[in-house]
Amino acid sequence: MKRYIFKRLLLLIPIVLGITFLSFAMMRIAGSDAILQQVDATGIALSQEVIDARREELGLNQPFLIQYVRWLGGFLTGDLGVSYISGNDVFSTFVSKLPATLFLTGSSMLLTVIISLPLGILAAVRQNKFTDYLIRTSSFIGSSLPNFFVALLLMYFLSIRLPVFPVISEGINLKSIVLPTLTLGIAMSARYLRQIRAAVLEELGKEYVAGEKARGIEFSATLWKSVLRSCLVTILTLMALSIGSLLGGTAIVESIFMWDGVGKLAVDAINMRDYPVIQAYVVWMAMIYVIVNLATDVIYRLIDPRIRLEGERR
Amino acid sequence: MKKKIMSGLLILVLLIVGITGCGSQQRSDETGSSGDEEGQKTFVFGDTTFNAENGEPDINPHNDNSGWACIRYGVGETLFRFNDEMEMEPWLAESCENVDEYTWKIVLREGISFTSGRVMDAEAVKECLEDLVKNHPRAAENLSIAEITAEDMTLTIRTSIPVPALINYLADPYGCIYDVQAGVTEEGIVQGTGPYRAVSLTTDSEMELVKNENYWNGEPKIDKITVRTISDGDTLTMALQSGEIDAAYGMPYASYPLFENDNYTFTSCETSRVFFGAMNFESPVTSDPAVRKAIAMGIDKEGFVETLLGGNGYPAAGVYPDNVSFGGDVVSAESYDPEGAKQVLEEAGWVDTDGDGIREKDGTSLVLRWLTYPSRQEQPLLAESAQATLGEIGFQVEINNTADHNRIRTDSDAWDIYVSAMVTAPTGDPEYFFKYHCLDSSSNNDGHYHSDRLEELAQEMAKTFDADKRAELAIQMQKVILDDNAYVFCSHLRMSMISKANVTGLTAHPCDYYEITVDLDIE
Repeated sequence: MKRYIFKRLLLLIPIVLGITFLSFAMMRIAGSDAILQQVDATGIALSQEVIDARREELGLNQPFLIQYVRWLGGFLTGDLGVSYISGNDVFSTFVSKLPATLFLTGSSMLLTVIISLPLGILAAVRQNKFTDYLIRTSSFIGSSLPNFFVALLLMYFLSIRLPVFPVISEGINLKSIVLPTLTLGIAMSARYLRQIRAAVLEELGKEYVAGEKARGIEFSATLWKSVLRSCLVTILTLMALSIGSLLGGTAIVESIFMWDGVGKLAVDAINMRDYPVIQAYVVWMAMIYVIVNLATDVIYRLIDPRIRLEGERR
Repeated sequence: MKKKIMSGLLILVLLIVGITGCGSQQRSDETGSSGDEEGQKTFVFGDTTFNAENGEPDINPHNDNSGWACIRYGVGETLFRFNDEMEMEPWLAESCENVDEYTWKIVLREGISFTSGRVMDAEAVKECLEDLVKNHPRAAENLSIAEITAEDMTLTIRTSIPVPALINYLADPYGCIYDVQAGVTEEGIVQGTGPYRAVSLTTDSEMELVKNENYWNGEPKIDKITVRTISDGDTLTMALQSGEIDAAYGMPYASYPLFENDNYTFTSCETSRVFFGAMNFESPVTSDPAVRKAIAMGIDKEGFVETLLGGNGYPAAGVYPDNVSFGGDVVSAESYDPEGAKQVLEEAGWVDTDGDGIREKDGTSLVLRWLTYPSRQEQPLLAESAQATLGEIGFQVEINNTADHNRIRTDSDAWDIYVSAMVTAPTGDPEYFFKYHCLDSSSNNDGHYHSDRLEELAQEMAKTFDADKRAELAIQMQKVILDDNAYVFCSHLRMSMISKANVTGLTAHPCDYYEITVDLDIE
């Protein structure tokens, strides 16, 4: 197991190198740079001399490969550079945004599980009955509503009509996180509960369920102890994918609620061609996906001993 | 099992009710946070533009465009300022004398202190301006300062070249005077002379201000101000509706009707930001004077402003808005005349020979490659409007609406008309626009427009110090570029702020620099 984990972590090196190079190249292909983007934003023209001086200061006048190697050199020595736009240290800016993203990831995942797990199971148990139709219809509506629309609806009803929660987040606190969490939780729950329903239904159709019933074991015991356990792999896979994307930030939700996380930071950086911030984000995303996938594989192994990790003997 | 489930659900409901109740309680407490709280007046201002994207990561005026935040939110003040007619008047300065074309003597106003407690004298201003030209390339280029000497309250500035608009440049937000010895905090806070003092700042998030108890020009009426950066227009709308903010800058046009009632106040004015097209003189199509004239006659500016912008703009004739002496209808441009445009094209030999609705001449189709960018919401609308109206007179308009426009516009084979939104008189002086856009040496003259007459006038302006003569030259220069149809000026932006009806003293200014002032109050 340790060897497997070590091997997977080693993979991070080529992955980070590969995607940072690709993202660096793609941003260059996209054209423009931080200085020209800022001229667009402000509408105040600069002379070519000023533009050239700024480019030289930021190293943007260098050939692409030299710029990348310079960034890589800094990265390997723990220096992620400074933002071309704000002039702030990239590492500390990024770290300052992480708590908000982690908090929102945790709360929205928790809400998703709280909503989708019982409703998904209920829909499966009550298959083709009114409860099932109601849950599935709600799920279709929930998954067809875009996040920004749900966010605006929640704001309208829970901030304006019934002034309970703030429109603009007031920092990382319980009151401010409710609306962003509901926005994300509604969309994810809608998706999850259909998957959970399908997984539970598949398990309920298996022979061991009929066997347990024949042996006189209570249905609820079969459901909670056997069926649900068997569905855990499916649920875990869904959660791993969601956690990965949530930790990468949810730019739209963050922007709407002024929730100060990494998603909004990344989108702003891309719009402004702020390469050092984009690169930091890319490294973060690579790490998230490698680590979350690794953790998921290890947990698979722990909850279902039949699953073998790569290289493990049978 | 059912009991367990029921208990679980009950706990969940109680938790939600608990959070809701808690939120509700706090919220009802905070509803009074705007206005009067424990005898203190507080004010919350929502702004879409206070962010690093606009070059305003903090309020250090020597950092990029942060001077805008410094001056807008009442922290910093400049030596000179613009009045409502966009004319210069002293502010921290008392008077100014242009000794010769290289030397300016500025006498400072007595009795002004920075919020650090230091008295503002000529030495303090000298330190600040020296730091400015050292750290701000645009300011260094504009001001061209060779030497500054300070003596008591008199500052003497010697420039390396004649700078007739020096006083205007000193009124640019980068010219906010702050105590350099007190320094800039890690958050980017400086100690200015304005009615408010910043106490905390988080880039792209918020800034807290408190009143400057020792302000020199009256008593600030608000005890505590919070400026919130709100990048999303819908969020800004709802924040004002819910009462979380008292006033907003940057509200989307679509939200205006929600506030057109007695509970809110609008303050608006015309700014010098103009949506305009620059013709490409290297293009076989737009190098033809008849085509340029037809384009100028074929764009329905009034229709664009009234219909697509919902009246939130002003049709433009020339470079500058109505509120400057050299702007508005002191010049005239081609008016919208589709039939006249058709005739101009016919006479120049552009005719539709194959009946496909697109004119041709010598085997070349009248295809107009319209280059623009999407970061300003009005530009794609203008492109579509022009595509429709120019299409009616025989153009085929191909829109390239791209974020990569800065690279494409340097390739004169890739476009015919480049439409952008630029501020034409950021310092209230007319020279800026021509210097950066229309001359042979201009960094933005990618269409390679050249006029001997314009170059002559620009040279004359560069050495003319008299404001009236400069205005006169500006009018002549506009006439030259309009006669050549080298540029089409479509509309000026109308800047609006919306506040709750109990807010007073928040007034839109044509230069867009002054928002939170000593006059701001909340009843």
